[in-house]
Amino acid sequence: MTEANSLTASQTCILCTSGRFLPVKDENYLIRGGKMLDFFTIFSKGGIVLWCFQGAGVSESFAGPVNALIRSVILQERSGNNSYSHEALSLKYKLDNEFELIFVVGFQKILTLTYVDKFIDDVQLHFRDRYKNELEQKGALKLLNNNFEFEDDFTMLLREAEESSKARSHVAMRSFKESEKSQKTVKSMIETKGVDKSKEQGGKKNKNTKKEAAPAADSAKGDKGKVTSSGQKTVENGNQGLTPEEDMQKKREEFFRKRIVGTAEKPISSTKSPKPQKPREKRMRVWDMGGNSTKELDYSKSKGEGSTNGDDQSLETKMDPGMQVSSMEGELPPVDYESSDEGEIEEEDERVVVSGTSKTSSKKGGSFGGMFGMLKGLVGSKSLSSDDMEPVLEKMKEHLITKNVAADIASKLCDSVAKKLEGKVMGTFTTVASTVKQALQDSLVQILQPKRRVDILRDVMDAQSQRRPFVITFCGVNGVGKSTNLAKISFWLIENGFTVLIAACDTFRAGAVEQLRTHERRLNSLHPQEQHGGRPVVQLYEKGYGKDAAGIAMEAIAYARNQVFDVVLVDTAGRMQDNAPLMTALAKLIAVNMPDLVLFVGEALVGNEAVDQLVKFNQALADHSMSDRPRLIDGIVLTKFDTIDDKVGAAISMTYITGQPIVFVGTGQTYSDLRSLNARAVVSALMKA
Amino acid sequence: MVEKADVEMEMADNPFEPYIESLRQQLEEQDPVLLIALIVALAVVVITCVFLKYFLSSKTVRSAVLLVGLCESGKTLLFSRLLSGNFKRTQTSITDSSAPYKAKNDRACTWTLIDLPGHDSLRPQYLEKFKSAARAIVFVVDSAIFQKEVRDVAEFLYVLLTDSVISRNGPAILVACNKQDITMAKSAKLIQQQLEKELNTLRVTRSAALSAQDGSIGGSMYLGKKGKDFEFSQLPVKVEFLECSARGSKGEEGEADIQNLEKSLAKL
Repeated sequence: MTEANSLTASQTCILCTSGRFLPVKDENYLIRGGKMLDFFTIFSKGGIVLWCFQGAGVSESFAGPVNALIRSVILQERSGNNSYSHEALSLKYKLDNEFELIFVVGFQKILTLTYVDKFIDDVQLHFRDRYKNELEQKGALKLLNNNFEFEDDFTMLLREAEESSKARSHVAMRSFKESEKSQKTVKSMIETKGVDKSKEQGGKKNKNTKKEAAPAADSAKGDKGKVTSSGQKTVENGNQGLTPEEDMQKKREEFFRKRIVGTAEKPISSTKSPKPQKPREKRMRVWDMGGNSTKELDYSKSKGEGSTNGDDQSLETKMDPGMQVSSMEGELPPVDYESSDEGEIEEEDERVVVSGTSKTSSKKGGSFGGMFGMLKGLVGSKSLSSDDMEPVLEKMKEHLITKNVAADIASKLCDSVAKKLEGKVMGTFTTVASTVKQALQDSLVQILQPKRRVDILRDVMDAQSQRRPFVITFCGVNGVGKSTNLAKISFWLIENGFTVLIAACDTFRAGAVEQLRTHERRLNSLHPQEQHGGRPVVQLYEKGYGKDAAGIAMEAIAYARNQVFDVVLVDTAGRMQDNAPLMTALAKLIAVNMPDLVLFVGEALVGNEAVDQLVKFNQALADHSMSDRPRLIDGIVLTKFDTIDDKVGAAISMTYITGQPIVFVGTGQTYSDLRSLNARAVVSALMKA
Repeated sequence: MVEKADVEMEMADNPFEPYIESLRQQLEEQDPVLLIALIVALAVVVITCVFLKYFLSSKTVRSAVLLVGLCESGKTLLFSRLLSGNFKRTQTSITDSSAPYKAKNDRACTWTLIDLPGHDSLRPQYLEKFKSAARAIVFVVDSAIFQKEVRDVAEFLYVLLTDSVISRNGPAILVACNKQDITMAKSAKLIQQQLEKELNTLRVTRSAALSAQDGSIGGSMYLGKKGKDFEFSQLPVKVEFLECSARGSKGEEGEADIQNLEKSLAKL
């Protein structure tokens, strides 16, 4: 052992470099076992690494992958599931919220290690118990000054975990006598088509007592239509007694059967169920509600009196339209508010009553225990468990959904907040509800804060100094307000002294080019040429309808470069995210022209659709780009913000899904209705009851 | 106790003697328990007033030194070096860490050193929490990759300088140009010049930025003097540039090169 390798007071990490001995008791095990794990770190939430272990033969530092884990998972509130993959490594982590620690283990993605989850839990418990005193201190001094000598415990736990996994994987094979095939009779295994299949199924069901096949058998018993085919499949998988030929035979027959039936969603039950014995004869159809006599349907007598009745009838008909004709004259009456309001109020009352009863019922159930728990929670230091947080989180999730946050994003957010708070010790005089609310508020603000600097004017100035135009592309589905907000943004840029070229790449919608031309005329009249150095501040570049959008965009950018325009705003046609050819066209436009900023325009009224739109747009942009670093959506424009009062959940859905900031907020239909996002205001509107 | 006071007062001014006599007679007629209760109550009120004055006055509460900066600029390592002198491996911080720090000067005053996370999405809320308690702000800059990040650094500095609470309290701002052990690191003077140039343009674009959707305009202060190029000397707050290296020139085992920083902190 050389001197250089002995652990000094300042070094708390073992780096196993090949060829050198480690000053650890069981070096051989560490080298051998360390091949499985690439690294294991324990660090505080404040960023100080308390202890780390690096596997044999691994030379790269693990700081990069762990930082990537922190940034993409924990900071973006995606900590619902506890694993993450970064390049070739797969990382699993665990948060300890009581002492503010994070445990991360990394191993190669191709290895499938089954013991890792339990291993992390064991390590966490062990570490906590051993260093409880140091960790409990508030302030970071103890963490800094202490050397956490954890290697021996770690090797012991690793050895236990590996051995337990090895023990589980070697299950001895059963001998033939023990298997169930030996208990079947030969006759039951002979297949014939049709009826016998069901009998055979019954026979197979009887003998299959394994756990995996049991649920399949139950479901097969219950419903014959679709499940029998799947039930048969699981039966095949579960049954180890079949020879390969029998297997193939069965599969072939299933295939033919499926072919005969057509779309095999519901194979006709007639082939499965036993055929009825006697042939069916034609019988007159009897309707249940039909009634028996036809006398009531005979109006012949009344027809005889038809003339007088007819007159009466015509009089009646005359009177009816008489009533209608004069009623709509004059002003249109307003919508009948009262009844609809009452209806709504009643509905709300019902809902409130229902939720109230559920609340009271839950309260009653745990009232006595709950009272003591509440007192204990108020005064002492109670640590949060997931059971405590469950009802509060459910309520918060419902609240978020009523505020127009997409449903699965609300649930993911609540899972992430639960993970962050589990095990945390509450302060005195704080309730579970207030802690959870505060944590949810913090994470919402964190999501809405942009992860990079957003300053369009500065970037435009930068491009100006490099003598190239700054290109912004607007994309989105139909009718969200792309052209309107494009006009608003060009107004804002003109006010700040830049010249704008609008590229009309919407060659599909009727009137799109004319709409942009009108905007150009209006903007030029608002800022006349004379005041801005004799050249028009806004110009429209269009090539009519029906042409290729990507080509127009490229020509527009070249024109802007020649004529020294500062900004190019590219307006594209609205398209649904499911429309594959249009998505390909958009991806081509963006990949070919490489704009500086790709803005997705989304309206604030959208609900769960926002998730689908953004995911599919990003997917299309990533798939159809040639380079290995595709241009994805860089920012979001949230439009029609004045139409929602406080149901601002769409902002959360969009930023959560893409991780990109909201750059502009459109609050109306005139040129000056353009704002930037204030995260705190949006979150307070969201959390308001 | 009462008699001594009376005696002293008698010695001091005679004209008040008849009043004092009548007061003393009245007091003696009273129940002694009541008297004691009255005195105790008065004392409690006085003590409470003194305590409230002590704790509510803002001067003594502002004893925090904040470590701020962009991500990966070396704040947590600097924190560790200042407090214990040890080298510690670090990861991206997601919460703040705080510890008491003894400044190396004659008065041996203790500050609370607070290390804030630098990640963009966490920065605003932690700054919000701690800015009112700041006595000094150490703004850590990565000198090696400064050229690439100059706009982000300038924007953060702009936010700090135009913040209403900070401009009201006026804490000292120390810009620590970290990572000087790397050969490509820029010097403090160069960084100062670059930041002045950048802030010059930034103050124009930021004041023209869109107001927020509820009508609030953030940071309407104009930095420096209009018409003239921006310089740090034009600001009312004191901004000082210094160089340091948290890792130290000798690698992980050596000492950190933070004497400048320690000297400046001692001057506070």
